[in-house]
Amino acid sequence: MTTLSDLGEAARRGGEFRAGGTDLMAREAAGPHVNLPDLLDPLNPHGLPDLSGVTWRADGSVRIGALTTVAEVARDPRLAAAHPCLTLTAAGLATPQIRAVATVGGNLLQRNRCAYFRNPAFSCHQDGGDSCPARAGHTLRAAIVDTGPCVAPHPSSLAMALLGCEARAEVHGREPFPVGDLYGDGSDPSRDHLLGPGEILLGVALPPPVPGERAAYHRAIGRSEAEWPLVEAAARLVLDGGRITFARVVAGGVARVPLRLTEVEEALLAGEPPDRAAGLAAARCTPTAQNRYKVALLTGTVLEVLERAGGAGREG
Amino acid sequence: MKIVVNGVPTEVDAGPDDAAVDVLREGLGLTGAKAACRTGVCGACTVLVDGTPQAGCLLPAAAVREREVTTAEGLDHPVQRAFAVHDGLQCGYCTPGFVVEAAAFVDAWRAEHGDVAPPRERIAAALAGHLCRCGAYQGIYAAVAAACRGEHDGDAAVPARVEAMDKVTGRARYTTDVRLPGQLEGVIIRSTVAHARVTSVTGGTRHVVDLLPPDRTVRYVGQPVAAVAAPTRREALAAAGTVEIGYDPLPAALDDTPGAPPVYDADSRKRAPSSSEGLNLPGGWDGNVRGPFTRAGWRGRTAARRIEAARRAADPRLVTGTFTTAVQVHTPLEPHACVAHWDGGDLHLHLSTQTVGLAAAQAAERWNLPPERVHVVADHVGGGFGAKAGITVETVAAVELARAWAAPVRVVLSRAEELTDAGNRPGTRTTLELLTDDKGDLAALSVDVRGRGGVSIGSAVAVFARLMYGTAPRRLRDYDVVTNEPPGTPFRGPGAPPLLWALEQAVDEAAHRRGEDPVALRRRWDGNRKRHALYDWAAALPVWADRPPTGSQSGRFRRGVGVAAANWAYMLDPATEVELEVEDGVVVARTTTQDIGTGIRSVIAGVLREELDLPAERIRVEIGRTGAVYGPPSIGSRTTTSVAPAVRDAARRLRERGLAEGARVVGRRHRDRYGYVTPFAMSGMALGRGFSGAVHVTEVEVDTRLGVVRPLRVWAGIAVGHVYAERLARSQCEGGIVQGIGYALYEERHVDPVTGTVLTANLDDYRIPGIGDTPEMTVHFHRDGWEHVTGRGVGVGEVSTIGVAASIGNAVHNATGWRPHDLPIRPDRLLEGITR
Repeated sequence: MTTLSDLGEAARRGGEFRAGGTDLMAREAAGPHVNLPDLLDPLNPHGLPDLSGVTWRADGSVRIGALTTVAEVARDPRLAAAHPCLTLTAAGLATPQIRAVATVGGNLLQRNRCAYFRNPAFSCHQDGGDSCPARAGHTLRAAIVDTGPCVAPHPSSLAMALLGCEARAEVHGREPFPVGDLYGDGSDPSRDHLLGPGEILLGVALPPPVPGERAAYHRAIGRSEAEWPLVEAAARLVLDGGRITFARVVAGGVARVPLRLTEVEEALLAGEPPDRAAGLAAARCTPTAQNRYKVALLTGTVLEVLERAGGAGREG
Repeated sequence: MKIVVNGVPTEVDAGPDDAAVDVLREGLGLTGAKAACRTGVCGACTVLVDGTPQAGCLLPAAAVREREVTTAEGLDHPVQRAFAVHDGLQCGYCTPGFVVEAAAFVDAWRAEHGDVAPPRERIAAALAGHLCRCGAYQGIYAAVAAACRGEHDGDAAVPARVEAMDKVTGRARYTTDVRLPGQLEGVIIRSTVAHARVTSVTGGTRHVVDLLPPDRTVRYVGQPVAAVAAPTRREALAAAGTVEIGYDPLPAALDDTPGAPPVYDADSRKRAPSSSEGLNLPGGWDGNVRGPFTRAGWRGRTAARRIEAARRAADPRLVTGTFTTAVQVHTPLEPHACVAHWDGGDLHLHLSTQTVGLAAAQAAERWNLPPERVHVVADHVGGGFGAKAGITVETVAAVELARAWAAPVRVVLSRAEELTDAGNRPGTRTTLELLTDDKGDLAALSVDVRGRGGVSIGSAVAVFARLMYGTAPRRLRDYDVVTNEPPGTPFRGPGAPPLLWALEQAVDEAAHRRGEDPVALRRRWDGNRKRHALYDWAAALPVWADRPPTGSQSGRFRRGVGVAAANWAYMLDPATEVELEVEDGVVVARTTTQDIGTGIRSVIAGVLREELDLPAERIRVEIGRTGAVYGPPSIGSRTTTSVAPAVRDAARRLRERGLAEGARVVGRRHRDRYGYVTPFAMSGMALGRGFSGAVHVTEVEVDTRLGVVRPLRVWAGIAVGHVYAERLARSQCEGGIVQGIGYALYEERHVDPVTGTVLTANLDDYRIPGIGDTPEMTVHFHRDGWEHVTGRGVGVGEVSTIGVAASIGNAVHNATGWRPHDLPIRPDRLLEGITR
């Protein structure tokens, strides 16, 4: 009965899509600035089966529907074998209750977690205002790669992992495009993704696995669990003897968008040791006095995932 | 829509966007699941949806349509009995969520691995989406492990506390769960500016209740201005949105710089609220600075002279440092809540309170009622930690709205309100100087503390330095610096944690400079005999003997062991009484006290069992309501030491009289030998003779790459004399350690420096310890030294937490050679500190 076009039309009239609801319900509870129609019920997808589940294709690539839950991704053994970067990240975010209902699409398109944006007492670029109260206030958790007026780090761990997996996004009515293009360069302070009104993310597609890939994910937080990352990073490596022949290194929590650290990748491929390679990530950072620790945390977290993916370092 | 709830197909009247937890609680009266944080962080709302645990606060009703929902009420699972037996709970507010999640985990684990205990990390990962503010995590680990081993498959369970089965099944009713016929929901409208005179309050519904102070001035963002009510919370919020407040802005003091605009004038500062447990220390005002209070010092000028001479001589025996602590918020999982209704001239309050009797007395005074016409009920209280004493604003709002609407009104603070304006431990800045002499004795001490409690005064931190380490000269000065920020309230051992954070690290530094064992130095300096026994115990711990030389490690992960001592007053309520009455063959105990999670119900039942040799089913404890004989408030570590001896006295009287049907006796707490320090009790509090003591030994691992401090193991030596209920006392000490870890490593209220708005307004941003942050804990009770006290035992609530953060600071120093000065020890501070 409901078609994607109907949904898109409804969304163009105003409102946001709800998938698992873990972001929208919390924002609605926090204050009066969200008022949303019930556009899309994830658990009864009204004849939209393509939005859920993991589908393997003949060429070894895989498609994950936007309404697939994070828990399904995290515990899928075939995905874990083919794309450990993604499944490790999925298993490492949020908490079991959240992963059980939060979806891949919702995770990619959620709003940021800046305390100013989330607090109804403030207006900012993200909710129609024309300033960033965080810049004059607390920036302890703010972005250290400053690309525009807003300093809220991008909240999606899966976006970072999928960027590292060179996944493509499928949006209704458009050709698939690299998942990074959902976010652009971070210069638009008014939103956390670049989909237009009524555009519907249908799923993501990952290319065939890279033979011999080893991956690691780490979330740098103060406590042991259940915290939005200060910094997070993931790495995919292929080693041939002692030499790295393939490297994808990504980071989150440090910029308006998830980052692919090509400078680190190139250094690894050129034979630089992991600590030297990880250290290169610092060059793009322009921290504030409050958050300059994040630069050391970024290089430390990148080193952490390089060592773990490379087979060194501590278990767990 | 249709839902199958606890096996019963049910038609509910719900919109698709309503949160499932509200549908269950408000629509179906299933109040086991609690809406405690509404951001999916605390897990108190967790329910099973088709067998999978989900956060009910983030779950749209549409997502449970046609599905099977199971709440704690509908669960009959071994893990519930395991929680009861292993005391995996204290106040119990988070418990229904924990047991629902744990049940799913235990079933999945046993199906996959058989009946074996999982590793700790697996339990922690499974329960990562739950928070327990009481810190009952050690019991939760034990309960889940035992359930996985199949130890609780049978029905037999001897609960560690008498109400445990009510709490693990979601049957225990808290104030937030009360719903009376015709009840309205009230909400408080709060100031959006940091300092202003309110010129007008217009709009809104029929009855807008005024909550402004007499000078019509708001002094912080979040200060109550007015309150409105409506049939549902959603409608009440909408009504609140139509109220317009006119402000005549005043300059605001959002920092403590000398030139900041005045928060108070000479008149209004007399009404400044207090963060102190007793009376405010006297002190004059200079702008926004009040004090100093110096009279706790001892030969202060001598101390200052000696320190000044040592400074001029650059004496290495002079240890100096500036230590800061962040504002810590109580944030009990049950927020402040009140249901008020008027019945003729009688006022009925369901209240989440630590002080049933005091709240009733204050209500009688405030609303000019005869005391017997105020009725307070607090059957179960979801934590307090000091924040729920007396009449607070939710009660004022509920009572006034109930009168205006002539209907019952419930006011429950949101988590944002709870984290903004429901109490905190003020931040502090302490300058400390400590001088040792040639013999290595304490020669002089100077402690200056500026307490920053927002608009509140009453900082009392330096004063506690009078009570430790002998009689060497000491200059002790306490200041308040007021700002236009929310006020503090007493928080579990109020001023002691900030003092010990500074003092116990300075003492450690003195030992370090002398090359002396820090436990041995404390034993020399400390005259308290009970603590001597604890020092001997600590020195004999293998972890202490095997601690690494300070700063000796260079690897990424560094292990350290730290010690801290703590000293706390023995307080009691000498007027405490307990009445016993035999009803239908059951001995019923009543007194006007309350159980906020400390387990006083079980202490009373335990004493009765001992004295009367009765089975559990012939004992009933009815507390948490007015109408009984006088009982103590649950503040200042005084409940058990006040109540238990009175119960014993009553039991003996009853035994003498015989347990005949209808027999009634009243027991009293007999006066201690040698009496008390204070000649009479104030607000129900007397200061008894002697000090309780604690020594914490903490082992941490520091990750120098990622800036993380992980407490691995903590040993707590506690000297409180007789322990009335061993497991419950241990639980409270373990919770004290967990809260101390929060204070040391995670907890920090942030206020926007431009507007004064509290930024840490949810439990994502205000971070309290989770189960994975919990170290292995060993509690050792030293039971001697309280023979002069009736009952031979004193309170454990505060002494068990106040020194924990300092022991972590000393452990970090031992591990890294870097001494943290600022709390919390965040990753940024650690990374910057160790690379400096």
